[in-house]
Amino acid sequence: MSSNVIPAIEFRNITKKFGTFTANEDISFSVAENTIHSIIGENGAGKSTLMKILFGIYSGDSGEILIKGNPVKFRSPLEAIDSNIGMLHQHFELIEDFTVFENVILGSEPVNSGVIETTKSGIAIKTLIDKYKLGLELDDRISDISISQKQKVEILKLLYRNSEILIFDEPTSVLSPVEVEEFFKIIRKFKDEGKTIILITHKLNEIKELSDRVSVLRKGRLVYEVDACGLDLDVLSREIIGNVAAVHLPDERAVFNNPDVLIKFENAKLKKDNVDKLNGLSFTVKSGEVYGICGVEGNGQSEIVEAILGTEKIHSGKMEIRTRDVSLVPDDRIGKGMIKEFTVGENVLLREKKFFIYNAKRIKEKARDIISKYDVRLSDETAPLESLSGGNQQKVIFGRETGLGNKLMVLVHPTRGVDINSSAFIYKIIIEERNRDKGILIISSDLEEVLKLSDRIGVIYKGKIVNEYGKQDFTFRDEAKKQEFMTNIGKAMIGAEV
Amino acid sequence: MSRKLKANILSISLSLLTTIILTSLLLIIIGKNPITIYGTLISEVFGTGYGLGQALFKATPLIICGLGLALCFQASLFNIGAEGQLNIGAFVMSFVAYNLDDYLGIMVIPVAIAAGFVMSALWGLIPAFLKIKRGVSEVITTIMMNFIALALVNYLLIEFIAVKSTVRTERILDTVFIPKLSDISSVFQGSSANMTFFFAILLAVFMYFIFYKTRYGYEIRSVGLNPTASRYLGVKTNRIILWSFLIGAGITSLVGVNFIFGYKGYYELGFSNNIGFTAIAVTLLAKNNPIGIIFTAFLFGVLDYGGLAVNTLVPKEIMLVFQALVILSILAVDKVVKIYYLKED
Repeated sequence: MSSNVIPAIEFRNITKKFGTFTANEDISFSVAENTIHSIIGENGAGKSTLMKILFGIYSGDSGEILIKGNPVKFRSPLEAIDSNIGMLHQHFELIEDFTVFENVILGSEPVNSGVIETTKSGIAIKTLIDKYKLGLELDDRISDISISQKQKVEILKLLYRNSEILIFDEPTSVLSPVEVEEFFKIIRKFKDEGKTIILITHKLNEIKELSDRVSVLRKGRLVYEVDACGLDLDVLSREIIGNVAAVHLPDERAVFNNPDVLIKFENAKLKKDNVDKLNGLSFTVKSGEVYGICGVEGNGQSEIVEAILGTEKIHSGKMEIRTRDVSLVPDDRIGKGMIKEFTVGENVLLREKKFFIYNAKRIKEKARDIISKYDVRLSDETAPLESLSGGNQQKVIFGRETGLGNKLMVLVHPTRGVDINSSAFIYKIIIEERNRDKGILIISSDLEEVLKLSDRIGVIYKGKIVNEYGKQDFTFRDEAKKQEFMTNIGKAMIGAEV
Repeated sequence: MSRKLKANILSISLSLLTTIILTSLLLIIIGKNPITIYGTLISEVFGTGYGLGQALFKATPLIICGLGLALCFQASLFNIGAEGQLNIGAFVMSFVAYNLDDYLGIMVIPVAIAAGFVMSALWGLIPAFLKIKRGVSEVITTIMMNFIALALVNYLLIEFIAVKSTVRTERILDTVFIPKLSDISSVFQGSSANMTFFFAILLAVFMYFIFYKTRYGYEIRSVGLNPTASRYLGVKTNRIILWSFLIGAGITSLVGVNFIFGYKGYYELGFSNNIGFTAIAVTLLAKNNPIGIIFTAFLFGVLDYGGLAVNTLVPKEIMLVFQALVILSILAVDKVVKIYYLKED
């Protein structure tokens, strides 16, 4: 990269404060044209805020942004889109009842004397789908397609609007390993086309695989920048975390004689809209163990949770839950895990059901308890939970559910969208709870995570556990063994014969 | 004081100011001096004990009905059926009252209130049941049940119960009336305001406590904010919906206490004068906060009586315009406060 080339984007001394909390402090760096530039940092490091300023959702308190050398100040996302900047948000903005086609044209409908023109625009969109191998059908309803397909619809929207600069906010957090590979191919294709990509992520391997350059944010400041050729993952992790002692996973796993069976599925079947969501599912979870279920999303994982909670009934086979109280960390933390308008303390009290009177003192005590025990970072403990960053919200939910002291815990994607430091912390607590003779069921699409935590693993495919492994199967002597195992489990997840 | 509370007070004050300015413009257009009109209104209402008493009397049923609605609204149940619910309840209340006052004496008051409450609650059971079991929108069912309720009461009253050549029930004994405010202080001489007002205030304080300081309140509000998450958090959502609807509808019947035991002594067709609908505005304006409802109901009470007081100068309908403008401006101002004060996007 030569210095006399005008960068695609240049941030100059960007500062943004929310009340007394400084989200971005004097951030300056540039993104070269036609590169993949990663921005990495922990939850609450200021990545999303910076991108929202670029995209016109927030306005910065000071500093300026230059696009191809020209200073810009977008007052709304519409203005950013007009300048060919597109952003893929963590939460999708799709109309569930509309088709793929309708969602793509929404907002910039091709109109011919007042009537929406479908033929030409249909062909144009179809061309984009084929070109980037998105595998979407124009007439499919959004409510009928998978999460990864929804993400592709969002990408298609950006392409349809001729975005030259693409911002991706944690794009892979909702994808399974196979889907991540597909996604990477699409991103590389964008680069080949001459587009500029900003990738916000937590995942070090993504950076290594994709990026040309990396900027690290920590507590609102830019602390480190490096080109991909000089990338050292150890250095990078240190820069992300800062001077915090790394949390080590407790190695020792307590052994319990006579464990209780807490969950037992036997040849369970569950139909939803005439589709077999669970189809001969069998597995058990005992006390004092972590049972991990891995698989591509949509193979019955959410139905297992629904069945355990009793919100869906199995139609045949057997299901026994030998404990009434189940601690649950659900897959969708905002939609299912909390009342986002309530504070930390209120959310904890509501779940505990212990007290009848909720006075300020009690709410404060509960909040302080969780905040200190689980290292929750927040500016104001009376603020609604929605104002916390995703990782901190997860810590609150996690802490709340652990605190209930239930014998059985069901954890769905326990660290989705959570930074390295907080993930390590959550892992440590999971193992500690296991060592207290709790039974823990983990459902996750992050294979590394499942391997790291579980005593036993079940691979789910089409509503059935197709393979089960014990700890000895995934304690590896060398890297080659591990690779072999990963290949096998990957095949099992997509239903290929092992 | 939390930032949110400050923002609420700010937006209510700003919208009142906007309304006063807009109404003034209207008054100027029709050739009246706004200062004279507002001046007369204020001196008529606040300058005399009678005027203030009348404003309190008008505010009382709005507070009570608003509290019943707040319970439904907090659980995100958009109950439009208060008008029907309260008429059924008040009708039964008076029926029980004049039939049993001879035997029970003063004790007829709680008995009649209980009977009215239960009837209104049962009337609310139908939409609640349809919503829980069949997912029918309560907005539609409650609107429709208003017509049924009023027709039913009309039929029963005219056919069987009404005092000859009137549209009212028999009057209760003088001995079972609730004391008037003028019985305590001569300041309120001649006004119909009665002790029901204090009962309404107590009820508001009690509801405030329930909503914001107890587990039930948190469960009700959580169901209103996010029913899915509430279920995952272990709240029995259907039970909350059922009871909020029943008790909310029941509370609306208490509007009858002000009229029957505090004022006329009987149920009369059209007594409610659309309180069930006006109370929706009162409640929304107060953002479902029981303490806020006392103030918004009082504002509407002042406008209601004040409209009569300035009737010689301007048509009293100008006060309806004022009420409508308050609601419109709070909707607009709220958004502005959210963007510029709370900095939400």
